[in-house]
Amino acid sequence: MKIKVNFKSLVLLVLFSALSNFAIAQKTISGMVTDAESKEPLVGAAIVVTGTTKGTLTDVDGKYTLEAIPADATTLTFSFTGYANQTVTIGSSSTLDVALKGGSYLDEVVVTGYVTVKQKEVTSAITTVKAEDFNKGNVNDPAQLLQGKVAGLTISRQSGSDPNGGFDIRLRGVSTISGNQQPLVIIDGVPGANLQTLDPNDIASFDVLKDGSAAAIYGTRGSNGVILITTKKGLAGVTKVEYNGQVNFENPANKVPVMTSEEFLAQNRALNATLPLDKQAKESDFNYGGSTDWFNQITRQGLSQVHNLSLSGGAKGTSYRASVNYRGVQGIALNDGFNQVNGRFNLNQKALDDKLNLSMDIAITNRNATYSFNEAFFQALTYNPTVTPKGTPNTGFYNGAGYFEQNNFQYFNPLSILEQSSRKGATDRLLSSFRAEYELAKGLKISSQFSLTRDKEQFNEYYNKLNLFTRGALRNGSARQTTNDANTQLFNTLVSYNTEMGKLGFSAFGGYEIQDFEYRGFGAYGGDILSDKFGTDNLGASVSFKKSQGEATSYKNTSRLVAFFGRAAINFDDTYSFFASVRREGSTKFGENNKWGLFPAAGGAVTLSKLFSIPSVDNLKLRAGFGVTGNIPGLSYLSKSLYSPIPNSFFYYSGAYVPAYGPSRNSNPDLKWEKKSEINVGLDFALLDYKLTGTLDYYTRNTTDLLYEFTVPVPPNAADKTWANVGELASSGFEIGLNYKAVKTSTFAWETGINFSQNSVNLVSLSGGDLKFGSSGGLDLAGVGAPGLNGTYITKVQEGEPLGQIYGPKYIRPKTAADVASLPAGERAGAIGTPLYEDINADGKIDDKDRVLLGNGIPKFTLGWNNSFKIGSAIDLNFFIRGVFGHSIVNQYRTFYEVVDPSSVRTKNVVKTTNFDPALKNGEYSSRVVEKGDFIRLDNATIGYTIPMAKGGKISNIRVFLAGNNLLTFTGYTGIDPEAKYRDTEDGSYDLGGGGLSPGIERRNTYFTTRSFSVGVNVGF
Amino acid sequence: MKKILFSGKLLLVGIFLTVFNNACTDLTETTYDQIESKDFLKTEEEIIAAVGAAYTSLYGFMNHNTIFTIQEITTDEMVIPHRGADWLDGGQLLRLHYHTHNPKEDGFNNAWRFCFGGVATCNRLLETLTTADPKLAAKFTSELKVLRALYYYWLCDLFGNVPIVTAFAKAEATPATKTRAEVVTFIENELKTNVPLLDKSRNYGRVTYYAGQAILAKLYLNSEAYGSPKKYAECITACDEIIASGLFKIEDNYKANFTFNNDASLENILVVPYDATFAQGFNLVQMTLHYQSQNTFETQEQPWNGYCSLSEFYNSYDSTDTRRANNFLAGQQFSSKGVALNDDQADDPDGKPLKFTPELNQLEPNCYRQAGARVSKYTYKLGSTRNLDNDFPIFRYADILMMKAEAKWRAAGAPATYADAEALKAFNDVRKRAGVSALTSLTPANMLAERGREMFAEAYRRQDMIRFGAYTKPFQYKTGIDKACATIFPIPDPQINANKSLVQNECYK
Repeated sequence: MKIKVNFKSLVLLVLFSALSNFAIAQKTISGMVTDAESKEPLVGAAIVVTGTTKGTLTDVDGKYTLEAIPADATTLTFSFTGYANQTVTIGSSSTLDVALKGGSYLDEVVVTGYVTVKQKEVTSAITTVKAEDFNKGNVNDPAQLLQGKVAGLTISRQSGSDPNGGFDIRLRGVSTISGNQQPLVIIDGVPGANLQTLDPNDIASFDVLKDGSAAAIYGTRGSNGVILITTKKGLAGVTKVEYNGQVNFENPANKVPVMTSEEFLAQNRALNATLPLDKQAKESDFNYGGSTDWFNQITRQGLSQVHNLSLSGGAKGTSYRASVNYRGVQGIALNDGFNQVNGRFNLNQKALDDKLNLSMDIAITNRNATYSFNEAFFQALTYNPTVTPKGTPNTGFYNGAGYFEQNNFQYFNPLSILEQSSRKGATDRLLSSFRAEYELAKGLKISSQFSLTRDKEQFNEYYNKLNLFTRGALRNGSARQTTNDANTQLFNTLVSYNTEMGKLGFSAFGGYEIQDFEYRGFGAYGGDILSDKFGTDNLGASVSFKKSQGEATSYKNTSRLVAFFGRAAINFDDTYSFFASVRREGSTKFGENNKWGLFPAAGGAVTLSKLFSIPSVDNLKLRAGFGVTGNIPGLSYLSKSLYSPIPNSFFYYSGAYVPAYGPSRNSNPDLKWEKKSEINVGLDFALLDYKLTGTLDYYTRNTTDLLYEFTVPVPPNAADKTWANVGELASSGFEIGLNYKAVKTSTFAWETGINFSQNSVNLVSLSGGDLKFGSSGGLDLAGVGAPGLNGTYITKVQEGEPLGQIYGPKYIRPKTAADVASLPAGERAGAIGTPLYEDINADGKIDDKDRVLLGNGIPKFTLGWNNSFKIGSAIDLNFFIRGVFGHSIVNQYRTFYEVVDPSSVRTKNVVKTTNFDPALKNGEYSSRVVEKGDFIRLDNATIGYTIPMAKGGKISNIRVFLAGNNLLTFTGYTGIDPEAKYRDTEDGSYDLGGGGLSPGIERRNTYFTTRSFSVGVNVGF
Repeated sequence: MKKILFSGKLLLVGIFLTVFNNACTDLTETTYDQIESKDFLKTEEEIIAAVGAAYTSLYGFMNHNTIFTIQEITTDEMVIPHRGADWLDGGQLLRLHYHTHNPKEDGFNNAWRFCFGGVATCNRLLETLTTADPKLAAKFTSELKVLRALYYYWLCDLFGNVPIVTAFAKAEATPATKTRAEVVTFIENELKTNVPLLDKSRNYGRVTYYAGQAILAKLYLNSEAYGSPKKYAECITACDEIIASGLFKIEDNYKANFTFNNDASLENILVVPYDATFAQGFNLVQMTLHYQSQNTFETQEQPWNGYCSLSEFYNSYDSTDTRRANNFLAGQQFSSKGVALNDDQADDPDGKPLKFTPELNQLEPNCYRQAGARVSKYTYKLGSTRNLDNDFPIFRYADILMMKAEAKWRAAGAPATYADAEALKAFNDVRKRAGVSALTSLTPANMLAERGREMFAEAYRRQDMIRFGAYTKPFQYKTGIDKACATIFPIPDPQINANKSLVQNECYK
């Protein structure tokens, strides 16, 4: 039997309570609610005395008993998510069995800003994803549940399959060029909540507000879209105990091919043979006698386990759900992973004749993470394969605790990195929320919510005394401890009114919200410690502090948002809907002259299928919406004129060093929000008896007053960067979501869904007033890096051009003797084996003017295709295919190491993809390493078997399943992962959410991706 | 039921009270770890800390690819070769040596920011201090104006035509380019007015009367090369002011001026008072040394194997010249414990033993990892961090003496040979200290060469070569002959982008 519980039922339960004080003549009716097609019982279906708040829900067997029905009641209304409502006349019988017809989703409830509305009244682009449609298998982060599921929502992992890596979430591409591009996450009404406070098992549904008309109610934080998360709740009368457990096995999904030790030796010997005898290297200069696969040395099979236990239920006016989740995850790199315990408790209580509704949510998460060193992957690919990790005698000056080490630039024994360094994080998170709602009169409610969140992280980093990596050895051990503490308090209050006058429905609400943010932290760093035993636990033992070489830091900053908002909507005969909303919001981060912004929205929809009868068309709704949203500066105090100590710089005054203070930055009292205006036109349809449903959306959005840190002249300015609002970004796109219930019988069901999205984004301007940008052809960003490729840029940002453009010289071939002879004499004629580039402007030299467009890091379109099957009553099967197309990736491994460079050939291994050309001697960045990133991936597949259980037994259901993730990828990309890279991990502002202007670069310090298999069990009691 | 009812009402009342009590529309921003301008400059201590900013911006001088770099690797005394996998960096460092650079080179923008950052800080302080505490501000006014003139002297020397800005709050948003002649006049007037008001003592790391005279002397000596009137007599007067003070002397030991505890030197007139802890930024240790040199000096960070000298320059030192051993690392290198060092990835003919050769096999693309004598003028302390303790001399007494000699020679019409006794003595004093024979007469060639040997790695080579006409001519690994306008650098591209009123220099349009 299938346990199906959903949010709509919960809302109904809340709204239509079983309690009543009026006791007149009464009646009791009981019965069963089933699916009309499959005849299966529906669990949690709502039964309500029509037009009243009196009702109940079906139990796990689909049965219900509704007591104390008033004598004057004539009909009951039966409803269940995904099924058409049915109103049945109460007859004389005390038994009433109802079969609900599947298909119609029009009565389903959609969570929008602050309230819920029925699907049929929705006028904006909102996609709801429920638990049964989540990605399955090896999922440890809530973001993974949604990957590929929503047209226009792209989710990509920041660093391979790093178990501690975050996700970049982008809704409808890019709508801002600096700082935060992540959508606003709202967990049970708490905006800005951290996704990490949630265990994926506790999520009931996601509602993704894609367009501006829906997001505008969130004002200054709405521009990147909004993701509303509803957690699972208990149901009064349905006591459930559930256990889910699974074990995941993970292995590297692919390797970057490098030379084997034999190839490495052969290459060195061959190169040697070309040199005159007196210039030849000795065999012992490059051959250390071993044969090591470094990648295997630093990786292992990742093993993780997940346990989730939840209890829920309730009686009368009380319902609750409590859950505890444990995740023990080992990554594929030696030593990395995390242990996480998460507890969550939700309680709902009604009082005052059900007029008062109280609810409380508390979630606590404790996570102990051991972070990987992505440098180990980088070193493993390029370290000399003839070295034995711990056997080869050292030729450098480090005994390295037995590990082989040499003194070369960026050259560290990969195994030593992982075994002699540690980075650990301990995180405690709290998300608590209290809500009260009171019905003052019929349809008129007032509610208030208070929420407190806290994220406390402690980070510990230690490098052993004999560890060459990051110079633990030279500092005689080095230790760092940092704590970061983030606190948020939210209070809001809302007055809402709903009424119906015949065919006209009217609803409105107005509210006030205030949210306070506080961030503080402390850190200390010191080296020169007697014993590795202390790690970071005895910083007082560090001699550095006594030598003035230790460091201590602390910080604190705060900000506040205050908003007033309201929304009114009318609906006529379920045919015409219209709404208008407005939010007036202020932030402390805005300048004195621009404290408050206004964010209006309006939208309308007409259900054409109600006006015209079209054959086979069950529903056809045309909708359009417009909304203005904002984006807020990432940092506090940008508008203020402030002084702070100049780092590491003291003033030599009267024979001693005294502190020197300078302006923190240029202040901008005019600083304000970015403003995004968006128009969205959409079409919702249902055909063939609701078997085929779909949504089409087209949008166009304009972001003005872009927040950007402009370079300004000094003088007159005190510093050469100022945060200001200038410029314009324009984007448009198209999205399709289709769902087809192809077959549904009692023995076989097949449902398939596909989503497609296309997006393009142009930087219209980044100039205004005295702030000028790009007069000399744009802004070069994303340096390739050391060694040797500083001052070489990948991205070009240009006005009037798409974002994400990858520029570089066009590679032809390694220069031959003939090339060198025929090239015009110039400073860079170069030697045989250096790269030959196309002289685009034919001026006889290769320079900046010969850089051309080589690709774009942002995908053009994405595709998701889901299939789920049910075979018999026991077997379920699901697979999901995902594709991303049109983006390019700069393969940094190939840039630096797919060359036979005489200055590194004896120490560094060579990357050898299908593009390898032994004639190339110099690793430079060019079209040679810009690859197409298009891919199609069998992202996940699950097969489950539900063991038939006797009715009324202690265990109501057991399902076992086998799942696989990242099973198969079709791509031409030769690097680690063709997934779109939305941000540059080596951008200086990366940790603050920056790097978005230079997408499409796969840096060397990247964690590898994994393929995983999971076995698990779901048990219900 | 009654109880619940009661508490429910109370709750509702509570909710509303919360709303109206806080009545929260207050968006005042509170700071914690920074000081708001309105609360700053209230005490003498704070004012001194604020003045400090005008000096601490000097600490950027000895970083990679800024003002030091563009004055050194554009000359015959230093270069950063392209060593196979390393140091191509878009070709900018090679272009600087070939003089084929363009406005986009990072070094130009960094140097511009270094200088104008200092100018803007002085302007800011001159205004805000006066508002905060006019009496205390008066103590610093002339000093800040002379310090600003020092930054402008570098701007004039490097970029020539730059905006002149002296205001802060009411300064133009996009100040316009002024001609080099106007800039020279501005600096001269500022110095003439303010230097006489400065303290006539040695004041280590601060701009004094004598530091001011040194700036004037430099400005006057180069005035002709800047396209302004000849001012050699004025140069001699300025030098004489310093000489007559008796506060400075030629140290017996050349090294005493550059070593890590050089604060005792009586030869240095103005220094950047670097310190490993308090005044960080002197990073030559990483810029020049080989990866393995870490074992020689037990440095805490791995060096970058970049900057080195050129064989013709290295060989211009007599083998007995003690300055050669001080200024360069050449030959086999040893660990701090005396063990011969190896380079495991040696790509040079003599293999692994780490031997710096003054000769480069080529400048690009595959200059050997061990090629080039390394800069060791600023003695590296054992166990150094990336931030050296050595103070960097901006003006040095030996230089003043040689400048006076040169000014006298130029004032005398720059004859092919010159044997003025005082002028000869100036050059022979430094030669004597270096243990090499005395010159019998001065020629343009031997003056430039001697200045080169003495002033190596003090960021004067470019200016000297320009003055002697050698900069635009070919030298080692630089084959072309430049146009006359190439003696100033381009206005950096990001600055042209940021300020529409800037005009690009002639050679780079």
